[in-house]
Amino acid sequence: MRIHLDRPRCEGHGLCEEAAPRLMHLDDDGELVLDVPDVEGADLDAAKAAVRVCPVAALRLAAA
Amino acid sequence: MTMRKIVVVGNGIAGLTACDSLRSAGFDGELTVVGAERHQPYSRPALSKALLHAVEENSADGNGDGGLQAHVLPEPTHEATELLGVSATGLDVEARIVRLDGGGELAYDGLVIASGSRAKRLDAAARNTQKKGAAPPQQDGHLRELTLRTIEDAILLKERVASRPSVIVIGGGALGMEVASGCVHVGCEVSLVADVKPLARQLGDHLADIFTSAAIRRGLRVVGGGKARLVDHGAGVKVVLANGTELEADLVVTAIGDEPNTGWLAGSNLLVDGQLRVDSRGRLRPDIVAAGDVASFPTRRGVERVPLWTSAIDQAKIAGVGLLRGDAAPEFNFQPYFWTEAFGLSLKSVGFAPALGAPDYCESGGGADSMLLRWDNADGSGTAAAINYRIPVPKLRRLADAGPAALRAAPARA
Repeated sequence: MRIHLDRPRCEGHGLCEEAAPRLMHLDDDGELVLDVPDVEGADLDAAKAAVRVCPVAALRLAAA
Repeated sequence: MTMRKIVVVGNGIAGLTACDSLRSAGFDGELTVVGAERHQPYSRPALSKALLHAVEENSADGNGDGGLQAHVLPEPTHEATELLGVSATGLDVEARIVRLDGGGELAYDGLVIASGSRAKRLDAAARNTQKKGAAPPQQDGHLRELTLRTIEDAILLKERVASRPSVIVIGGGALGMEVASGCVHVGCEVSLVADVKPLARQLGDHLADIFTSAAIRRGLRVVGGGKARLVDHGAGVKVVLANGTELEADLVVTAIGDEPNTGWLAGSNLLVDGQLRVDSRGRLRPDIVAAGDVASFPTRRGVERVPLWTSAIDQAKIAGVGLLRGDAAPEFNFQPYFWTEAFGLSLKSVGFAPALGAPDYCESGGGADSMLLRWDNADGSGTAAAINYRIPVPKLRRLADAGPAALRAAPARA
C-alpha cells in the first residue's frame, strides 16, 4: 500500500507523525515529509493509524 | 471468554477508531457498528473551522453539502456491518443485548459504547428544569437557536449565514469563538454572549486575552451579563441576560457545551451519578468498554469527560485493546492535544488547560501574532501552546514535557 498526501489539505498538526514517526515527519517549515511512502506489514498498521488521526483527512492509503 | 461478536454503538471518530483498534489487535470475528447518523464518520472539528470560511465558494458540488469537504474522512477499512441511521435505545447487560430503534436487537460478546454527545440547547435547558432526564429535543420547523454539532447543523448554519444576517452567538468556548469568527469573516455583525472572558475557562486568562483582543479588533462585540435565555419576540427571538440586558439579531447560535448520549443506558446500571466512568483501560465491565465524548475517564486531574478529537481517538484505541485483552492491555496515559482557529489566530496546545497566569516561556515566531508559549503547572506538568507558529505535535509535546531546552535537542527519531 502507498500513503498519499493531499498537501493543500494538510494543516501541519503532525498527529500523523506522532502515530507513525518511522514513516513521516514535519520538517522545520512544518511541511509533511513522507519518509516511507510504501508500507507493508507492521508499518501498515502505523500508516492506518496516521491516516485515521488526521482531522482534515489529508492522508490516504491506496494500492501502490 | 472468547469474543466472537462485538457491537460498537456509535459511528463517530471514537466508534470508527475502536473498530480499527479491534481489527489491529487481531479481532477477526463479527463486528457490527451502529450509527445514529446516516453518514459515514466525518471530522467534526472541521465543521466549525474550515466550514464558515468557505461560505462564499460554490454551493453545489453534488454532495448536497455546499463547498464542504474538509470533514470527509477516508473510507473505513474495518469491514464491520454498518447500521447507519439507527440508534441504540436500550441495553441489557445480563442478556448481552443492545436494543435498537425500530425494535431490532443485537446480541454481543463484547460491547463498545461510543454513542458520543449532543449539543446542549438553551431551550432544552429550560424544558429540562420541568422534566429532568427527558429525551433529547427534536428539531422542529421553528428553531429558535441553531447549534453546531452535526453535518446537518453545519449545512443549515452555512445556508443561514450566507445572507449575512446579524448574529448572536451564545457561549464563549472554542466552538462559540469559531462560529463567531466564521460569521464575522463573511461580513455578519456578530455579538458573542459569554459570562466570563471568551476562552478564559478553557485556556486561561493569557491566551483568552490574546484571542479576545484579536476578535474585538476584527469587529466582534463581546457581551457579558450572566445567564442567557431565549424569549419569543414577534416573529423572531431575543436573548435576555440575567442582568436584564436584551439583545436581538436575525440569527441566534448557541455553543454552550455538549451532553453525553447516555439516555439509552438508563436501565443498564452502568451509569454512576449519570456518568459512564471507565477504568484506565476503557472498561466498565470485562465485556463492556466505552470511549469518546460519552465516556468519563481517569486523567491526572481526576475522572473527567474530555470531548475532543484526539481524546476520542486515543480513548478508542485503548478501549479496543482493553476489551480484547483485559488486564494485559496497556493503560491510558492521557496527553491532551487541542487546537482552534478563530479571528486570524491558529492555536495548538498540549498539556492540561487552562494554564494559569502568564507563561513562563515565550518565543516570538517572527510573523505577526506568532508565538510559542510554555507554562510550568503547579502539579509539575507543562502546558505548551503555539499561536500562528507551525510546529509538529511531537515537538510541542517535548516543549510541554521537558521545557525549552528540548526544542534545541535533536529529536529522538526511531
